[in-house]
Amino acid sequence: MKQICLVCQNVDCKTRGAEVLMKELERKVTEKGLADVEVRPYMCFGACQEGPNVVVYPEKTWYAGVKTDDLEDIINHLSGGPDVKRLDKIDPSLKDLIYQLLDTGVF
Amino acid sequence: MQGILFPNGVAEEREGFNGYRARGGYAALSKVVKGIPPADVIREVTEAGLRGRGGAGFPTGKKWSFTRDCSEQPRYVVLNGGEDEPGSKKDRLLLEKLPHLVIEGLILAAYGLGAGKAYIYINRQYEAALESVREALDEARAAAYWGESVLGSDFNLEIVITEAPPNYVAGEDTAALEVIEGKPPLPRQKPPFPATVGLFGKPTAVNNVETLANIPPIIDRGAAWYRSFGTTESPGTMIFSLGDEVSRPGIYELPFGTPLRFLIEECGGRLKSGKKIKAILPGGPSSAFLPADKIDVALDHNSVREAGSSIGCGVVRIFGEGECVVEETLRIAEFFARESCGQCPACRMETNMLATILRKVQQGQGGAAIMDQIAKVIAFNKGKGFCNLINMPGPPIESALRLFPGDFEAHLSRGRCGLT
Repeated sequence: MKQICLVCQNVDCKTRGAEVLMKELERKVTEKGLADVEVRPYMCFGACQEGPNVVVYPEKTWYAGVKTDDLEDIINHLSGGPDVKRLDKIDPSLKDLIYQLLDTGVF
Repeated sequence: MQGILFPNGVAEEREGFNGYRARGGYAALSKVVKGIPPADVIREVTEAGLRGRGGAGFPTGKKWSFTRDCSEQPRYVVLNGGEDEPGSKKDRLLLEKLPHLVIEGLILAAYGLGAGKAYIYINRQYEAALESVREALDEARAAAYWGESVLGSDFNLEIVITEAPPNYVAGEDTAALEVIEGKPPLPRQKPPFPATVGLFGKPTAVNNVETLANIPPIIDRGAAWYRSFGTTESPGTMIFSLGDEVSRPGIYELPFGTPLRFLIEECGGRLKSGKKIKAILPGGPSSAFLPADKIDVALDHNSVREAGSSIGCGVVRIFGEGECVVEETLRIAEFFARESCGQCPACRMETNMLATILRKVQQGQGGAAIMDQIAKVIAFNKGKGFCNLINMPGPPIESALRLFPGDFEAHLSRGRCGLT
């Protein structure tokens, strides 16, 4: 199934390096030839203090405080490997809200 | 109809120093500095029941007593003319046309509060207002109404003008304090409230322009006279702003308790389009829509609240039959998304999400489930911001959904307005 990597590009995540992070993630996805993965910007997940935030959808995995050093492990996950437990830090109630929004098509 | 601020109807011309004096201006100030204790000024304002005109309607006397009861020194007074509410023109008009009334109100507030320094905070785009206030301040100072030893008394007052940035959030009281301190207009977390921890960390009364304009008449003629206008809970008058959708747009000073119908029909001359009314936003973009059958509601804080909305700062907008509530609701959501200062994550997420959801609805993208997300986003973020902006998109959006579900369903199913 096709997965979308949503990378928050709101001001807070940007100041924490989300722009560079997104470019680097796009580069690695292309390099690995992950045809079923699309990288897309997102407006805001409401977890700015934990940014940069990356949500893998529709799988529903949320990575917070992502640094470029973490991308290797995330790419490994997107290639079928295990998810990256150390980056799972978000409160479940916020996750529920955002996943519901994504489920109803709010992109 | 007789007003309190504009005794002879809303002024076309600027009232100069001599004109203001000739109708009894500065009499209240002369009276108090010659022997009325500051506490009596606050008591009179409390007894008059004056409520803030910036939108929240908090009792002014109570707010002042918090500052007055604080032992910290020095204390400050800030006149908030940061007015950025879409459609609101009242504060600008008061500053332009009745600068001395406003300045006397500010001086009386400083006297009552024991403040030695006052700031006049004015939207920097209001050039005529700034010029009018500068000239009036010079005249008032020359007459010893402020400065060293006001009218020969031991009351000293310095007044400084600070120009405000023109964005919406800069009119929020703590954002105004940040700007006066030389910082960007970002609201502070409350509590503490400015009344006790305000400008430079000191007790500060921040009052809207229209609020302070009510002080000279209250001190001059007394609380009982003031209460002869308006209702028990909302004494006095309020300035209402009507937009270009009515035949006679402009601002109108009316006693609280006046029926909304009077404002719309007698003052505004009904909708220019000739159409029947579909909905009314009685208190600016953060108030809830009222349906047309609420047109006889009395314009006072309690009655408008009981009708399901709020009086805000008196900006009344009227929508005719055939106008789409979805479009207006989207405009409101986009306004708050644009004007959120962005320092609180929850506000940033909420305002962006609501604007995105409503844009989807307007364009007919997404199923009925997308509508259910609106209430969830609002509930999740309620009260999670430093200032009240986070709570502002809720009332107009949720009332629009409740009152006009057909407009939203039409957009969702057809991807366009069902009304055109």
